[in-house]
This record gives sequence, C-alpha cells and structure tokens, in this order.
Amino acid sequence: MKPAEASLPSDTEVLVKRSFDAPVKLVWRAYMEPDLMRRWCSGPPGWSMPVCEMDMRVGGHYRWRWRSDENGQEFGFSGEVLEVVPHARIVHTQIYDPGDLGFSMGGEPSIVTVTFQEAEGITNVATSIKFASQADRDAAFSTGMTDGMETSYQLLDRVLAEG
Amino acid sequence: MRMEQLDYVFAALADPTRRGIVVHLARGEASVSELVGRFSLTQPTISSHLKVLESVGLISRRKEAQLRPCKLVPERLKAVTDWLEQVQEICEGNYKRLDALLAELKQQEKKERRK
Repeated sequence: MKPAEASLPSDTEVLVKRSFDAPVKLVWRAYMEPDLMRRWCSGPPGWSMPVCEMDMRVGGHYRWRWRSDENGQEFGFSGEVLEVVPHARIVHTQIYDPGDLGFSMGGEPSIVTVTFQEAEGITNVATSIKFASQADRDAAFSTGMTDGMETSYQLLDRVLAEG
Repeated sequence: MRMEQLDYVFAALADPTRRGIVVHLARGEASVSELVGRFSLTQPTISSHLKVLESVGLISRRKEAQLRPCKLVPERLKAVTDWLEQVQEICEGNYKRLDALLAELKQQEKKERRK
C-alpha cells in the first residue's frame, strides 16, 4: 500500500489518508477493539501503549497513553465518542495530555473524524483532525504527534532538492 | 531548532501566499517588485508577508543593495522538512503494523471458515 498522504484542507484541519489491503469489517475492528488497537498504534520505535481503554459507543470515553521504554516518559490522548456509524465513520473529541513531555498542544479539544470506505477488498481510511483554532493546530505540529504535512511540502522539498 | 521556533516557522508557512513566495525564492533571489508582479498583490501586502518570513529566519534580505533582494535560507526550511519527514515516518510505522495485523486477521478468518 502507498504510504500515508497528509494534507491541510483548511487552517484548522489536518487530513491523513491511507489504504489497507483488507475488508472494512477487519479495519473497523482494529480501530474499535483495544486489544487490537494497542498492537498497531504503539507510536514511534521504542514506545509502547500501556493504556488503551475504549468504550466506543456514543457518549462513551476513551483513554490512550504512550510510554517510552527508554526513559519512562509518557503522554496521552482522551476524549468522548460523538458519533458511530459501524464500518463507515467514527467521530470523537480529543484532548492532549502532555504527561511529562512538557509541551502543550492547545487547550481546547479537537474533533477527530475517521471515515472508512471499502472498494474491492481495499479499505480507504481518512482521518481528519479539526483543531479548535489555527494556533492549536500549529502547536500540535511541533509535538510531533500529528501525521505530517508531507503533501503540502513535497513541492518545497523537490524545489530545494533541484536547487 | 527548538520547538517554539518551529512553531513560528509553521505559522509563517501556514499562509498559501507565503508558501508561494518561499517556493519562488527557492529558484533564486528576487526583489519586492518582482514578487509583486509574480503574485499580483500590492507592494505593502507582499512586504508584510516578507516581514513575517524574515522574522522567522526563512528568508534574508541584502542590506547593501537598494532593492534589498530577498533570498531563501535553505537550512531553515530543511530543518522543517526533515522534521516533517520524521513525523511522517512515525505514522507510517503505526500503519505498517496495522497492515501486518490485518493480514493476520484475514488469515484467522480464513481458518475459521474452513472449520
């Protein structure tokens, strides 16, 4: 599958797209079941996901926490589930807890929408993170926990490589 | 580059005109009037964008020349793109593990169907 593609559809949003070679019902499970989620969503090399609590019903809450194996530093996300359309869409709030990493990611919760769409056995997943403000989004960039802005900057990269 | 400094660089690059100016300057120096012609914006607008880019260190302007041509500071931008690549890598790491997990789930399903 092609690597993740990220773009900036508006001043407050980040959109990441990736396709998976599996039917949507399996991809959905990997996003909904905590035991599956913590196996893949463990973050950068050397990090694990010791806390992965999820009650993915409307009004339910989730709590994710990552820990560095090397020095025990932690950070996390938590939030409330706003909308669930099985095998199609999940919408939840997201509050960043800097733990002992120390940097902020804006005060207001962001809204995360994950959309799933299957075509011929391939599932396309689009993750949109909508921040409360542009300042919050830009703060999130510097924490390194968003999915990059590769697409927007590919042009710059290319021009620089040529120059 | 420190995190707070990166914040400012990102804020500066959040504007499409400023990104356009950076791409243009990647090809070489340009004066304000050249940029005004290129972007069909007024001189004060271009100047205020340049001021933002200069304040975060993305461009420099020659003081001695009368036209004060603008030049990209590639090291500054390189620091940002390097960092972005690193972020992209982290996410792709998650997705690759998900690929492997999904392959395993597909396999399991197949086995169960055979039973």
